[in-house]
Amino acid sequence: MKILALYRIKGGVGKTSSAVNLAYNAALGGYRTLVWDLDPQGASTYYFRIKPKIKGGSKDLMAGKRDLDGLIKGTDFANLDLIPADFSFRNLDLLLDDKKHPTQQLKKRLSPLAKDYDFVFLDCPPSISLLSEAVFKAADVLLSPVIPTTLSLRTLAQLNAFINDNEFKNTRLIPFFSMVDRRKTLHKAIMGEVLADYPDMLKTAVPYASEIERMGLERKPLPAYKDKSRAADAYSELWQEILTQMKT
Amino acid sequence: MATHFELPANLTAEALFASLNDKYETHLVSNQFFLKTYYDSFDWRLYKADLTCEFNRSKQSSSFTLINRKTNELVASTILFDVPSFSRQFNPGKVRQTLEPILEMRALLPICTLEGETSLINIVNKDGKIVLNLLIDEFELLNNRLTLLPVKGYNKVAEQIVEMVTKELGLSAVDRPVLLDALKLQGRKPKSYSSKLTFQLTPEMPTDVACKSIFTHLLSAIKINEQGTIADIDSEFLHDFRVAVRRTRALLSQASHVLPEEALTRYKDFFSWLGQITGETRDLDVYLLNFEQYKKKLPAVIRQSINPLQHFLLAKQKKSQKQLAKKLNSSKYMTTLAEWQKYLQAIPHENPPETETQSTIKHFADQRIWKTYKQIIKKGGGIDKHSPPEALHNLRKTCKKLRYLMEFFAGLYPERRIATLIKYLKNLQEVLGSYQDYAVQQQQLQQFSEEMQRINTPNKTFLAMGVLIQDFEVRKGKARDQFSSEFSIFNKSETHSSFHTLFGAGK
Ligand SMILES: Nc1ncnc2c1ncn2[C@@H]1O[C@H](COP(=O)(O)OP(=O)(O)OP(=O)(O)O)[C@@H](O)[C@H]1O
Ligand SMILES: [Mg+2]
Repeated sequence: MKILALYRIKGGVGKTSSAVNLAYNAALGGYRTLVWDLDPQGASTYYFRIKPKIKGGSKDLMAGKRDLDGLIKGTDFANLDLIPADFSFRNLDLLLDDKKHPTQQLKKRLSPLAKDYDFVFLDCPPSISLLSEAVFKAADVLLSPVIPTTLSLRTLAQLNAFINDNEFKNTRLIPFFSMVDRRKTLHKAIMGEVLADYPDMLKTAVPYASEIERMGLERKPLPAYKDKSRAADAYSELWQEILTQMKT
Repeated sequence: MATHFELPANLTAEALFASLNDKYETHLVSNQFFLKTYYDSFDWRLYKADLTCEFNRSKQSSSFTLINRKTNELVASTILFDVPSFSRQFNPGKVRQTLEPILEMRALLPICTLEGETSLINIVNKDGKIVLNLLIDEFELLNNRLTLLPVKGYNKVAEQIVEMVTKELGLSAVDRPVLLDALKLQGRKPKSYSSKLTFQLTPEMPTDVACKSIFTHLLSAIKINEQGTIADIDSEFLHDFRVAVRRTRALLSQASHVLPEEALTRYKDFFSWLGQITGETRDLDVYLLNFEQYKKKLPAVIRQSINPLQHFLLAKQKKSQKQLAKKLNSSKYMTTLAEWQKYLQAIPHENPPETETQSTIKHFADQRIWKTYKQIIKKGGGIDKHSPPEALHNLRKTCKKLRYLMEFFAGLYPERRIATLIKYLKNLQEVLGSYQDYAVQQQQLQQFSEEMQRINTPNKTFLAMGVLIQDFEVRKGKARDQFSSEFSIFNKSETHSSFHTLFGAGK
């Protein structure tokens, strides 16, 4: 079981859209796939038409009263399951802080699922917190969407340093471009620059596309309503590239 | 929770769908005709391994699926348009991985075909989320079926629906595969063929009656495997055919006072002929079955050089099999076998039994097994390092005879004790068997190479064959070395007294 976290301090950069569509592609390839919606806003839960509620809330979960397995919901798609968000997740940091080894908690909860899933996608809320550290500890890969602006490059450098300076050496940071507008000269210029500096940066970029925005109306992963589109192709290629990267 | 249900005969799929639609928001996802063919080997290996094997065809798809018939769980599935005969011909993957160790050399055969219509239905909640998938299968001649495919985390709906269809609509849970119903329709049932001996003997049976019932059983094995042998479906038909022939011969050789002299000679000749005409094809089959193993024995650099031998053997097997098929279609074969059958069915017997005790099958079995056992001890004891190969060959034949006798009459003795003795005998037979097999294969390989000289074969093929011949020599030597220790195990005094108590007490 490989754990992939969609993470970025900044909000609204395409974490949730990517988590949902990449997980859909993984499941389509026959991998047993799970999405865990860690964001109390429950956006990925919403896209799968599942109620943003878990039995006992985050309290029972963190107290070890409930196994993750009992919270899993099957989505409408083969091989693809989800652990819904819950509004109580907004207090997750406080609950974690009460624990002896707060940053170990996510990893510990997920480990019993190792035989059931090939890939777990963590859809994280935008922040840097105790939860983020627990995510870094659990994840094999941090997938980080980057909008090509100078500012995002600075924060990417910071994140990279944070991961490498601390006890998260087992996590690999794989950034990729998100919401790319090819018509903007700035986007193009920055992308060229970054590809030279970050060899790990994925070659496939997710374009800025109105059909991705429509996910909120359709309440489905993009390929489930618009299979033949540039954006759907981009997610599929992105997933293939991630698979290849993980093998090296 | 049960997930498989049978609809009552008077409830149509449409009516069931309408009732569900009244209470739930349902979506008909697809509805299509299907053709479902079940496959298994002739001896039901998949069924015995708790699997059912379905080849499902519809307009949109064509798939090959293995299901655990006890738990209804999907074991493996693949998209497929034609079902190959042998498991090794499937593409690598879970299906092949599952089939290969179970089927081995046996071919997949269509068992029966069902036609019908299948509908996939979703039940969705207020948010438009699928909370349950349903399959309704309508069959031409069988009761329709409903299958629930629950969605993880949404058990409540599934439970409600189970309650509704069983309580209100009269559906009943079923756990037997549709295959069983389909077979029943044709008056068949699974596991109808097994190469095992399955007749019943009682100790007091008159010898001739008992022998005839064994002969009759063997005759039916011959007839059952005859068509598959002629059609060359897989090598096991001929194998089982030959085993039945050999068993018949073994019993005939013991039955001098059960059959009149003239009949005895006639049928001994006939079954010996059957042994002869089937021998070559079987030898070639064995070669081909073991070919990959032989290949592995070769050093990697010359491994591919042996391939022309395989082509040669394949061609030779085809030819030999054709000739065999011709002989099994001959009037000599058919009339003699029919006469043998008539003979066995005729009411016994002109000459009345000599005395009461001698006429029972138990007495007969005791006597023959004990006598043959003693022959083995005597022959085996006389073999040393200098004995000629024929001595081992001869002993091997006697061991085989004893094995057949013990298997024919196993039902007359305490099960565990005779099984133990058969096991000891089997170990001895294995050493003798490999010695003989290596010797024969070595000799044949020599002969093949002579034949292949004439057909333009690359030199490196002969080189590779030479390596194999050498390898057989080494193995033959090992088997020969092993013989004396294996024989002394068989010749232990405890084994001797077990044989004596079980069979020789009357003496
Ligand atoms: N490639 C894209 N093209 C156009 N719109 C996009 C694209 N990716 C995401 N969006 C839209 O941008 C908004 C934010 O995207 P998304 O929810 O995926 O980001 P996020 O990083 O998960 O946000 P948050 O930090 O709030 O969780 C959504 O309305 C989404 O539909
Ligand atoms: Mg989000």
